[in-house]
Amino acid sequence: MKFIDPARDTWRLVGGEDGPMPSPSPARDRLLTLAQWHAVRETWPEGLNTGVVVPNDTDIETLEADLPKLALVVLQFPKWVDGRAYSQARLLRGRYRFKGHVRATGEVLVDMVLLLDRTGFDQAQLRGDQVLASAERALSFFPGYYQSDVAHPQKWPAAAQAEAKV
Amino acid sequence: MYQYTTFDRQFVHQRAAQFRDQLERNQRGELGDDEFRPLRLQNGWYIQRHAPMLRIAVPYGEIASRQLRQLARIAREYDRGYAHLTTRQNVQFNWIPLDKSADVMDLLAEVDMHGIQTSGNCIRNTTSDALAGIAPDEFVDPRPYCELLRQWSTLHPEFAFLPRKFKIAVSGAAEDRAATHWHDIGLHLYRDDDGHVGFRVLVGGGMGRTPMIGTVIREFLRWDHILVYIEAIVRVYNRYGRRDNMYKARIKILVKAEGQRFIDAVNDEYLAILSRDAEGEAQVIPQAELDRVAACFVTPAGVEARPVAGTGAPADAPPAFARWLERNVHGHKLSGYSAVTLSLKRVGQAPGDATDAQLDAAADLADRFSSGEARVTHDQNFMLPWVRTEELYALWQAAKAASYATPNVGLLTDMIACPGGDFCALANARSIPIANALIERYDDLDELYDIGDIDLHISGCINSCGHHHSGNIGILGVDKDGMEWYQVSLGGSDGSTLSGDSVPGKVIGPSFAADEVADVMEAVIDTYRAQRTAQSERFIDTVRRVGLDPFKTAANAVRRSTAQHSKVPA
Repeated sequence: MKFIDPARDTWRLVGGEDGPMPSPSPARDRLLTLAQWHAVRETWPEGLNTGVVVPNDTDIETLEADLPKLALVVLQFPKWVDGRAYSQARLLRGRYRFKGHVRATGEVLVDMVLLLDRTGFDQAQLRGDQVLASAERALSFFPGYYQSDVAHPQKWPAAAQAEAKV
Repeated sequence: MYQYTTFDRQFVHQRAAQFRDQLERNQRGELGDDEFRPLRLQNGWYIQRHAPMLRIAVPYGEIASRQLRQLARIAREYDRGYAHLTTRQNVQFNWIPLDKSADVMDLLAEVDMHGIQTSGNCIRNTTSDALAGIAPDEFVDPRPYCELLRQWSTLHPEFAFLPRKFKIAVSGAAEDRAATHWHDIGLHLYRDDDGHVGFRVLVGGGMGRTPMIGTVIREFLRWDHILVYIEAIVRVYNRYGRRDNMYKARIKILVKAEGQRFIDAVNDEYLAILSRDAEGEAQVIPQAELDRVAACFVTPAGVEARPVAGTGAPADAPPAFARWLERNVHGHKLSGYSAVTLSLKRVGQAPGDATDAQLDAAADLADRFSSGEARVTHDQNFMLPWVRTEELYALWQAAKAASYATPNVGLLTDMIACPGGDFCALANARSIPIANALIERYDDLDELYDIGDIDLHISGCINSCGHHHSGNIGILGVDKDGMEWYQVSLGGSDGSTLSGDSVPGKVIGPSFAADEVADVMEAVIDTYRAQRTAQSERFIDTVRRVGLDPFKTAANAVRRSTAQHSKVPA
């Protein structure tokens, strides 16, 4: 899991005077809203390092055809207890085989990072008050898991536990 | 019962370590109370009226004597000396200070216990038939499947923050003893005409403000696809369940609002997981894995079918023993064995409560008579699953000494009741005084036996922890102008061959005052006895045959306080 320091992040939203610019011009490292992306995707050049911000109530299926052009999908946690983006990430990875980065933003707390890691997020931008050392520790508690997941694929979910009874 | 693997054991210990880390961050101000709340809830820690409540998972109700003794110790050393059994086969404590919570989790982990997902908006502890694996009417033993569900749902990373809580119950017998129709997912395990094992899958049952019976979404699902199918259901719910209004966030609301579209979405998702997902095939359960888990459910050493050799009772055994045999002793798959209910419904104690001494006594009884195993039942009693019939008399005597032998199982005083307003911060009214008043009024066994089979369920509020909707008689606590009132409903059912299909009861009129409830109950019961065609016609059958009117008339006739009150809540 890469923890994003917003001050050093190279991705840039394309703002205008009244919110997001409707049709941004192509450039590297642009992070587009879904509306912006829909406005430009037909003409957007291949090979640009491009990211899209996807609200958590968007049907992630609708992004499938665009994924080869994207290097980053930013998923959102407007409230940390709203778990919809976990399903979006899992589908991006497991169903659509998305190989780019999947980033968690919004109310991202220490105690979410294990879930993020296991559902396919590889980047997290923690809320400003969160303690990085605690987040790193939160990834390390368990010896293994009962389910197969994106970060820990298992042939059968319980294979890791099939030791002799004690 | 299920034998923990080294992995299971290590996992529970690490869960306790994770919780301690969260508690310590909370205590030093790094993790605020609001953000700690969902985390402690997912470990079973509520903040209640007087102190935190801890709900401990007893997966599908199986509990070992060493676990009972550890609960007794926790009751004695950390609580005020008692525990409470819940309708979902869990155990609750009410008085443990939060700053001791991590220590208690460590003590629980020592005996393979925990509070994982016993609360919070996640997949809760899976429940089942208290007679699982031993019931004579069982088609398929549900326990290995319950264990596979326990493992799959434990810390499932995608489904830790659902719109609302999510409960699964599994039955594998003809008689539904797990209230499956009232769960978010109800599973009926059976064999089809070709002998293949599979599940009937119900979705969208629930109580609360909007009682609903689950909808059959699939009549037969092959057993090895069950995790795929449940994942499809829960994913559709996670994505589309309402999050704007917690009273409309349960899956039952989504099922009702979307109807066939919901069913189609689940079936599409199920097929998509199988056909497209990288991890899809991995969720089809191999036979070898089922066999491995099934092998963890060891039949206790020395337990095997044997000739039936009486009950060990002397010729002059008291009549009370015969009554206990009739009500508290149940048939068993193995000849020569019985299952025995230890009743937790007796005068002077709240329904479902056990003191530390009684918990120790249950452990002793389990060791002496039941190979060290007990069960927690949906009706808030203990059950001993492996009792040799010729030891029944000895067990009866020992159970009597521990106040466990009230011969009232299935009768009026074997009621379900939530802790109510005495403990619960959510409750509108108290349940325990009502329950106690009824237990005292109906302490005459002849009368109880004459009334016969009846389910009385009491909830202190509309959250329905006391399952009032499904009671043949349901009592619901409501609050108006700071006073406690009780709504009475009749004709509800848990759904089984005994009482017919699951159905919520119907309210018989405006609420009653607390001091009227016992009289109302008597009026209702007397009406039943007057109306029944024969003593063999059970309460529920009479209610269904004659309708509510005679009961309403009788109940209204005993109004005293409410007759003088202008603001009786509906």
